[in-house]
Formats: sequence, structure tokens, C-alpha cells
Amino acid sequence: MRIPGLGHLFRWHYARPLLQAPLLIVSVVMILHGLFGPALAPKNLATTLSWLHFRGLLVLVLLCAGNFFCLACPFMLVRQTARRFFTPRFDWPRPLRNKWLSVGLFVVILFTYELFDLWSSPWWTAWLILAYFLTVLVVDGFFKHASFCKFVCPIGQFNFVASTLSPFEVKVRDQDVCARCHTLDCIRGRREPVSDLVVIRGCELALFQPRKVGNMDCTFCLDCVHACPHDNVGILSRLPGTELLTDPIRSGIGYFSRRKDLAALAVVFTFGALLNAFGMVSPVYALESWLGKVLHLGREAPALGIIFAFFLILEPVVLLGLAAWLTRVWAGNQRGLLPLMVRYTYGLVPLGFGMWLAHYGFHFLTGLYTIIPVTQSALASLGWPLLGEPRWTLTGLPANVVQVIEIGFLLLGFSGSLAIIYGLAIDDSPRQPMRAFIPWAAIGLVLWMASLWLIFQPMEMRATLMSG
Amino acid sequence: MSIPFRRSRRSVCLLPKDCRTLLALACTATWFVASCSRPADSTPEITIEHEISPAPARIGPVLITLRLSDRAAKAISGAHIALEADMSHAGMSPVFGEAKESEPGRYQAHVTFGMAGDWIILLHVILPGGQKLGRQIEVRGVQPN
Repeated sequence: MRIPGLGHLFRWHYARPLLQAPLLIVSVVMILHGLFGPALAPKNLATTLSWLHFRGLLVLVLLCAGNFFCLACPFMLVRQTARRFFTPRFDWPRPLRNKWLSVGLFVVILFTYELFDLWSSPWWTAWLILAYFLTVLVVDGFFKHASFCKFVCPIGQFNFVASTLSPFEVKVRDQDVCARCHTLDCIRGRREPVSDLVVIRGCELALFQPRKVGNMDCTFCLDCVHACPHDNVGILSRLPGTELLTDPIRSGIGYFSRRKDLAALAVVFTFGALLNAFGMVSPVYALESWLGKVLHLGREAPALGIIFAFFLILEPVVLLGLAAWLTRVWAGNQRGLLPLMVRYTYGLVPLGFGMWLAHYGFHFLTGLYTIIPVTQSALASLGWPLLGEPRWTLTGLPANVVQVIEIGFLLLGFSGSLAIIYGLAIDDSPRQPMRAFIPWAAIGLVLWMASLWLIFQPMEMRATLMSG
Repeated sequence: MSIPFRRSRRSVCLLPKDCRTLLALACTATWFVASCSRPADSTPEITIEHEISPAPARIGPVLITLRLSDRAAKAISGAHIALEADMSHAGMSPVFGEAKESEPGRYQAHVTFGMAGDWIILLHVILPGGQKLGRQIEVRGVQPN
């Protein structure tokens, strides 16, 4: 925020709409091209932009900066415009004020992605984007604040977890300034002195800046920055992942160690990364075929359901449970099994992020330039061949070069996990940290080796929906 | 102090008016978009049969044999057929080829499948009279070597 130009931009009240508007236009183009354009995924903007460029840029921006995609979220621009006409009346139901619904939706998205091969269908991709817009309108049309962002949005939850490893964070510059503040604008909003009407809203995700720790639940919306009358909130740099080492009480969240729903989100994030990549390599079809024969299944859904249950429930429970038991027995840790599993799950997040980076980065980098011929073709189909004949031979970086980058991402993730697990182990067992460290590091090693094996498997992408 | 609750005889709508309007708009938009569809093929009278060798297809070069015939099952000679093979996932490079006529109505082309999985072969056909038509052939489950 102190950087000339950039700081002025982010402090400007209309910075967010300025960033959201182009993405909204792109989203509309994607929906239209997905519904009315070529039915073939490599020739359609909906599939090309969603499954190559959006996913790839998302993880790279999270790695290098922070949750700037939530800042520029086009769904929120539509919601904010709609709120000029519709006033939400209800508070988000108390029993749903946790991450369980969004964890479920995250799993549903991963499952339907595999079951319906969304990556191959411009039609269904367009519908997914549309459904997202409609869901935002309905949820935030009925419920106050940023209920959709905090409790529903699967992409948001992915971003929240990944941004715990980002190098930037929205935070207070000087706690002494906050200690002297009595108006609490960052959360209550800037209000008119007489009428007490809110003129600049505060944080809609219930993150009180002086007690906010880390990036979890922060959409980088900058409402707090704009509301603070002392210019005491900014986007500050930090050491990535440090927020996973400590367990203070966090405004709007509580203690990480007491949030089983957050731990479940971290499990889906980490184990789901491997599962999502597994869905695109040859062995998965052999596994589905074998399950079909053994269990006499005529359809893909039950076999896929079994694979999902194994990777997202059974495998984590067994691995994390075993590590927790070893930590109790060997390191003499007095915590219960479940609290230990919850505590150390966060240590696996860097590994999971490394796998998401490797997977999405692969598709992004190998298909980097494909947006050019697809755009050329889209314009030509409208009778505007402004960019010339589509150059379909343009793709991206060679796969063997990208594979080296993938290995780098996996190494980075593994190192990050080891560092965080060791930090937690020292905190738990200062006299014998290695005894607390080794069981969890072993789990990390197993997952890392599985990730390495995955990236060397031949890709085999089979789709059920090949025409629309 | 407890306040007695009296059940009203009037039906009570739980949703405020603007929320109902929002819901109605969302449903209308959904119905409108769901009604959209793509146009059908306009040249059904031309039949194109195909064979792919080896079968089942594997990664590497394959020979595609096409037979064009009209409604009376008469072979169509002198057509120009360009092939484009795409995978079902965005980001994969397409493969191009051109078919040569080996006998009247029988055309052959070589393409190389670079990856296992599902492919679609697009046929861009220009008939002897200049009429253009497009067809696609789905090649499912190309095997790894």
C-alpha cells in the first residue's frame, strides 16, 4: 500500500469494481461462448479460460501475492449491484455458521467435475458459471453480510486455505493506533456522526482487524482499508505459512485447533489435490474398471463414489489417525487423537498446495497460448476476423520443461509442510520434538511420493460428453 | 413473562416482496438460458463411413479410411477432406492431416495421436460441387503404448 501508484489504487474506493468489471465481462463472454460456441472444449473460451487459464493463474497469484482473485471476484460485483435493489433481511442460520456446507460443496464440485467431465464440456462449464452467479444472488439476496463468501463459496474456501501460504496479508500496521480507536470502523463501518448511517461498510466477514490473524476468511475486499479513518490497515508482506505455526484466537474464526470443520477443509484441500490429479491419469480408469467388475457396477458414479470415499475419508482418517496415535505413544503427547489430528492437519496444507500448483500449473503452462486461436476463432465466428486466421498450432511450453517446474512446486510444498510440522512439534514437545515430528513427516513423505508418482503417470483424458 | 402466541388464520408469506422478485428473476433467467440450443447438421444426405487402424487405436500414427457416398449409396469422388484431431481437454495441440483418394469414394489419411484418452476427429469436407460440410468422428479410449 506504500508503493506509489499501487497504494493509491488499492486505497481508492472504486478499486475493487475496477478490477471486477473486466472479469465480469470475461465471465459473460465465457457463458455465451460456452452455451452458443463450439462444442469442442479446446475451441471454446468457456473451457479454455476456466480449466486452463483461470485455475492456473489463481494458484500462481495465491503463491506469489495473495487472495487477489477474491478481491476481483465478478460474482460479488453482480451481488453488490443487486443489493442496490434488494435488501437482504436474514442472518445466516447459526447452525450453518461453519465450513461444513462449503466443505460438502467443495467435494461435490470435485466429484461432478470427474463424473461429468466438466473440463470437456463448454455447455456444462457455462452452466457451472451461471449457477455460481445465481447462487450468489440468491444467498446474498436473502442473507446479510458476506454469507456466500464466508460459508458457501467452494472457490473461496480453496482460496482461504491456499492464502495461508501467501506472502501478503491484509493487516494492521500499528496496533497502538487501534488501541486508541473507539469507533471500530474497520468492522462497524464508517458512519455518519449524527444519523449513525454506514457510509463505508466494514468487514462483512466478521474479521476485526486488531485481532485478525492470517488470511483465513479474508477475501482481500479492502473494506477495512477504506473504512479505517487512520489509514492503519494495509496489504503487508509476511513469511508465508507462519500463520499455520501458531494457534492464537483469531477474530471471526476462533482457534484453528478447535475448528474440526476447518481441519476437514484442509483435509479435502490436501487429499483432494492428489485425487483431482489422479482423475486424469491412466491408472484411474483401470481402477474404475476393476471396481466395476468386482462390485458388478454398471455405472461410473458408484465406482467414483468409492474412490472419493477412499481418498477423502478413509485414507486421511487412517493416515492422520496413525500419526496421531504414534505422537501420543512415542512423544508422550497428552492430547486426544482427534485434537492431534486437527492440529497437525494444517501442516499438510503446503503439500496440498504444491500438488494444486503442479497440476493446474501444468495445464496452464502447456496450454498458455491456446487462448489466442480460440479468441481468433470466436471473433471470426461473429464476423469480426480482427485477429486473423486462428493459429491452432499455438499451445504453450513443452511438457518436459513444465514437468521440471512441477517437481519444483512439489518440493516447495513438501519443504513447507516439513517446516510447519517441525514448528508444531517443537511447540508440543520441546524436549523431544523429533518424536512428534517423525510420524507427521512420514505422512508428508508418503503424500509427496504419491504426488511425484502422479506427475510421471501418462495422462489419459476420457470424456463422456463430447458434443453439445 | 410469557407472551401468548396466537396463530393467525391468514396465510403468511415468509419472504419479503423484494426477495420474491429476486427469486422470480433468477428462475426466469434460468428457464430462458435452458431453452437455448445449437442448430442441427444441414447435410444429412451425405454418408461418411470410417475405419481406424490399428483398432483399438493407440498412441502414435493411425490410418483413417473414409468412404463418402450420397443418398443413393453412390460413391462421391473428387472431394477434398481435411482432418483435424482434437482431444476432449482444452489446451492440447490439435493434429492436422489431409485425406487422399485411393479409389473412387475412398479416402485415406494419417494422423498421430499424441496422448491416450478420447479424441475427436473433425472432417472438413468440400464436395465436388463446392458444397462444404463438417462431420466429427469420436475416437474413445486411445490406449497408451
